[in-house]
Amino acid sequence: MKKNSKTALAAAALLSAGALFFAGVSRLDAHHAFGAEFDPNLPVLLKGPLVRVEWINPHTWFHVEVTAKDGTKEVWMVEGGTPNSLLRRGLKRDTLKPGQVVIVDGYQSKDRSKRANGRDVTLADGQKFFMGSSGTGAPYDAPGKDQRK
Amino acid sequence: MIPSIAVALSMSMLAAFAVPAWGQAAARGFTPSRLANGKPNFNGIWEALGPANYDIERHIARPSMMLREGPHGTLPAVPLLRLGAVAAVPGSMGVVEGGKIPYKPEAQKKRQENREHWLERDPEIKCYLPGVPRATYMPFPFQIIQNQNQFFISYEYAGAHRDIYFKDPGPPETDSWMGQSVGKWEGDTLVVDVTGQNDQTWFDRSGTFHSSQLHVVERYTLMTPNHIRYEATIEDPDVFTKPWKISLPLYRRMEPDARLMDFKCVEFVEELLFGEYRRKPLPRP
Amino acid sequence: MRSSATISCALLLAAGSLPGADTRRTPDGHPDLSGLYDIATLTPLVRPPNVGGRLNLTDAEAKAIAKADADRKAKLNVASDPNRKAPPAGGDGSEGAAGNVGGYNTLWVDNGNGAFKIDGTWRTSILIDPPDGRFPEMTSNARKRAMERGRLQRPNRGDAWWIKEGITPGPFDDPEIRGLAERCLLGFGSSAGPPALPVLYNNVKQIVQTKDTIVILNEMVHDVRTVRMNAKHDPPDIRKWLGDSVGHWEGDTLVVDTTNFNDHPALFSATRDLHVVERFKRLDDKTLLYRFTVEDPSVWTKPWTGEYVWPATESRIYEYACHEGNYSFANILRGARLLEAEALAKPAGQDK
Repeated sequence: MKKNSKTALAAAALLSAGALFFAGVSRLDAHHAFGAEFDPNLPVLLKGPLVRVEWINPHTWFHVEVTAKDGTKEVWMVEGGTPNSLLRRGLKRDTLKPGQVVIVDGYQSKDRSKRANGRDVTLADGQKFFMGSSGTGAPYDAPGKDQRK
Repeated sequence: MIPSIAVALSMSMLAAFAVPAWGQAAARGFTPSRLANGKPNFNGIWEALGPANYDIERHIARPSMMLREGPHGTLPAVPLLRLGAVAAVPGSMGVVEGGKIPYKPEAQKKRQENREHWLERDPEIKCYLPGVPRATYMPFPFQIIQNQNQFFISYEYAGAHRDIYFKDPGPPETDSWMGQSVGKWEGDTLVVDVTGQNDQTWFDRSGTFHSSQLHVVERYTLMTPNHIRYEATIEDPDVFTKPWKISLPLYRRMEPDARLMDFKCVEFVEELLFGEYRRKPLPRP
Repeated sequence: MRSSATISCALLLAAGSLPGADTRRTPDGHPDLSGLYDIATLTPLVRPPNVGGRLNLTDAEAKAIAKADADRKAKLNVASDPNRKAPPAGGDGSEGAAGNVGGYNTLWVDNGNGAFKIDGTWRTSILIDPPDGRFPEMTSNARKRAMERGRLQRPNRGDAWWIKEGITPGPFDDPEIRGLAERCLLGFGSSAGPPALPVLYNNVKQIVQTKDTIVILNEMVHDVRTVRMNAKHDPPDIRKWLGDSVGHWEGDTLVVDTTNFNDHPALFSATRDLHVVERFKRLDDKTLLYRFTVEDPSVWTKPWTGEYVWPATESRIYEYACHEGNYSFANILRGARLLEAEALAKPAGQDK
């Protein structure tokens, strides 16, 4: 019993110390803290077709056309991560096509422009896009799968 | 189908047969030093000379990099006035074979517009990556690091770099500033096929632009121990009526302490791009 | 049988290609370090507090870590509710760089699947010296500077807290005081370094080796480190973003010495006095051992040393043209100006 709890403790410790998503970066000069850009007081839920995807660094930007209650359309820019992570998994730019409906929940940019962080970007049925060939929500393929060079 | 066959044919003809006279004369009888695998050794620090980066076409000197009409001919545009002769454009016999670029008429108009809006539009001003072939003739050195399996080019300007792939990975999965370079040897010439460049770069400071259909085929050939003959065939069916070609010598930097300096340049343009957002903005034009 | 095996062994040895050893050599006789490597690992730089100071993890512990990570990522990657609402007003409580707004989906992250192993044993930290796997003590000046930096950190509440608290200069006053990664000058977390450290994604490195020059290419921010072999350092007035690297071989180990950093090295809290010595050694056909020692007498009272492995990857370096697409930086500065204007417009005593 003692050994098991020690293992679990060490596992948890390693995870909490450096491996948890974003947590380990807080001490270091983070790439940029989302906290600098987006306003926690301005939550948004966006739903609509993609009009454009900018596969650029440091962040991918999804342009989503949102229709307001009064019928007016506006385009929001949604911030994702580095496209290189997706390319490395063998995904291509045309995996996401204009017209494809996405749902985004996140927070609006502090400068009050029509921008938000892609806190959770999914297809209309809730699936995370770019989730490997099966699209079942299974863990993405291991790094190094991309058989280039 | 037929037009693209014709284009492909003219591309290959341009590439294979139109070796510039200066290249032929210099190359006669020259055997380059070689790596252990027999390939010519391009290692070293190289730089283009001449004002290709100002304007790749044949042209006489101009008063400034951006012009306006004056009462008796063109004058420097107002924002460049105080730079005087420092902002003038030197003349050149050009690096475009045949002298002029075969623009489609609407593209020619766009190039003229680019010239008139040079300050806002030239990606060099914002320190953006230069693309190919402009990276080659920026007025900055670049270094070739070559071993038996790899050919890597590191450019001083903006820290740009290219890794030449000798195994074709297939069409690029996305566009990039420096494109995807696939190389092969034709005798002692390295032939590099560059695709996947985005449409954001220019060929020079004179508004010479392209679309993301740009296809560049470069040829690097050692002419002497200290000169490379550089040729690039340009194809872009969206912008040009036919393929065209540039060629220029590249010169080895001979000084014993030759090396690439830092020219990241991003920090130099922060005031330009973000200065208006300072808490206390500084004077700006 | 035995004698013929011995003879073939001897022949192979003579040919310099004993199988299993580092058989890849360049024409000038050195180990060939060229190739592509993915340095992602879950092992942190600093040893976590509750591994009892051990250098090594047991196999069971390493397995548990890998499993916990895979489970956590799988959970984060399952489908979301298509009828979900917007996240909570006031923030979602996420910490660190996620900044109380939840960052982005886990699928963008590429930080490795497990701890790393050296010589068949799993490691609890990259740091190996000081022996407790933690940084040596900082100098008092460095501690002061760290406290100053800490003064300017606050959880994200979507307000110009520096106006309310009368802190000046504020943390968003000018581009030059923001982080180097935010400005697209250097990759975050000492990605290129030196020393190169694993970060949250884009951990692929490429080495191009020749006799006179060795290039280490780092994906973020398309940083090319040029190592001049058997050369002298630049004079002290030449300062560089990645420092000036000179290299030489000690037997089969490539030793790279880097000095001449400018005032903003990537390594967190380091100064222009930073001095890094890296040692690259090929362990087998697919693995390099990367060991480094960091000295910065302005910051740490003693040098510190770390090591981890660089496993070969089938992947490649993708372009990371950061500055060209840096919408965020303008967004951040504009946002700060807007929040300041709001804070200044409020009568004193009223808060959000």
